[in-house]
Amino acid sequence: MVTPDVVSEDDIAKLIIPDDLPDEPSFKAYIEAKVYDKENHLIQYHRQPMRSLTQYFLALMSIPIVGTFQSASNYNAPGILVNVLGLPSQQSTYTGSSHNGANITWNWSIQLGSGTQAFSLSLTSLAAPIANGTGTGELLYGQLSVVPAGTSILISVIVSNYTTSTIDVSEIGLQCTIYLAYQNSSNNYTLTTYNFLLSYDTFSTAISIPPNGFATFQITLSFTG
Amino acid sequence: MISKGINDISIDVPKDAYDTGKDAPTFNAYLTVIVRDSEGRVIKVHRQRSHSPTTNFLGILLPIIYFTNTGSSYKLTNIGGGTCSYMANPPTGTSTVNISYPSNNSTGNYPTYLVMIQVGSGSQSNPASATSLASPIANGSGSGKLVYGAISLPSNIIVSSNSAYFYVSQTYSNLSGGTITITEVGLVIQLQLETTYNNGATGNNINCGQLLVWYDVLSSSISVPNGGSVTIYYTFTVNP
Repeated sequence: MVTPDVVSEDDIAKLIIPDDLPDEPSFKAYIEAKVYDKENHLIQYHRQPMRSLTQYFLALMSIPIVGTFQSASNYNAPGILVNVLGLPSQQSTYTGSSHNGANITWNWSIQLGSGTQAFSLSLTSLAAPIANGTGTGELLYGQLSVVPAGTSILISVIVSNYTTSTIDVSEIGLQCTIYLAYQNSSNNYTLTTYNFLLSYDTFSTAISIPPNGFATFQITLSFTG
Repeated sequence: MISKGINDISIDVPKDAYDTGKDAPTFNAYLTVIVRDSEGRVIKVHRQRSHSPTTNFLGILLPIIYFTNTGSSYKLTNIGGGTCSYMANPPTGTSTVNISYPSNNSTGNYPTYLVMIQVGSGSQSNPASATSLASPIANGSGSGKLVYGAISLPSNIIVSSNSAYFYVSQTYSNLSGGTITITEVGLVIQLQLETTYNNGATGNNINCGQLLVWYDVLSSSISVPNGGSVTIYYTFTVNP
């Protein structure tokens, strides 16, 4: 007698597709905003779950998971980096010197905006980014802070409103710039940059920053341990 | 005039902001394990959430700004217990040391790649701080071993509406002569840092070794019969 399979081969493909399981999610993300008036008093506090990671977040986190080469002997980038991020399968470098190769790194920033748009996995910018500055409609962005804390990463920025009007923030995104460094055909150090949006969220309540006030925006990426 | 203090001010906390544990997750990871008998029939299917990127993973994911703000490196620990001072360096000046990337210079490639989904027969209580499996099952056909097949990498992400995912998988054959029981699983990558230099000087590399970047203890053990095989899938998804 032949014992039937527990599942068919066709069903196995479905098992790999993510769906809900009854236990706790393994990852949570939050956005937090605190607004202070010109006398440094807290006047608004807002916290909401982050809901919208893009395909670029998935591709970026594939680097610590699958690496940047297909294998020890295959000197091409994994398809996810090529097809999603648009990185070259092989970076063209100066080949006249041995050991001259290429390397990759990235940086993040928080971008605030005053518009809204429907989410899509391939969003690359906010609907109406608020520029960095002290002119009309602008906010002065401070230095981004990134702090690993246990199994979480806290990303925050302070923005100040030096204009004479209240500025409403209605959208927030975590941006990423990837840098590919290599030697060009003249053996000179060269960079290629790639810009992406890792997350995009609209606030369920607008964040209003008064004149001479400031606000902190924090994104918390929390992995359970 | 002295403004009102923080306690006097009505602050706005939306109801959906509370950490109820029931929020729609934005990211998830899953483990799927398919066990086959010696005739290739599926005899067990196991699915569970994957919970644990390790501190190695978090360190590699950190952006340049973390390292420029702190002025310090991040200690990565490889599966052999050796350490590597990792730092994502700003791409300024004439040289940088960062994660290697494939190039057309065959002598300049120091691959950073996924080595294996390693399986083991032990467990450990704090998976995030794990730097190796508690009791790795060796690659081979001897007693207590499994023959590790080739790793399968994603060629792209799979998109469904606003959700996307990719998965990696590996198959192991049991030629040991007895049943092998798997209780722990982890992703191991080889990390190489590559130095680029300007005009005439040659680069070199820093080998950080094999790093455990993701680790899970299975919610129930998996028994692989002699002559059978097991395939493990790690699925990573956004907006599931």
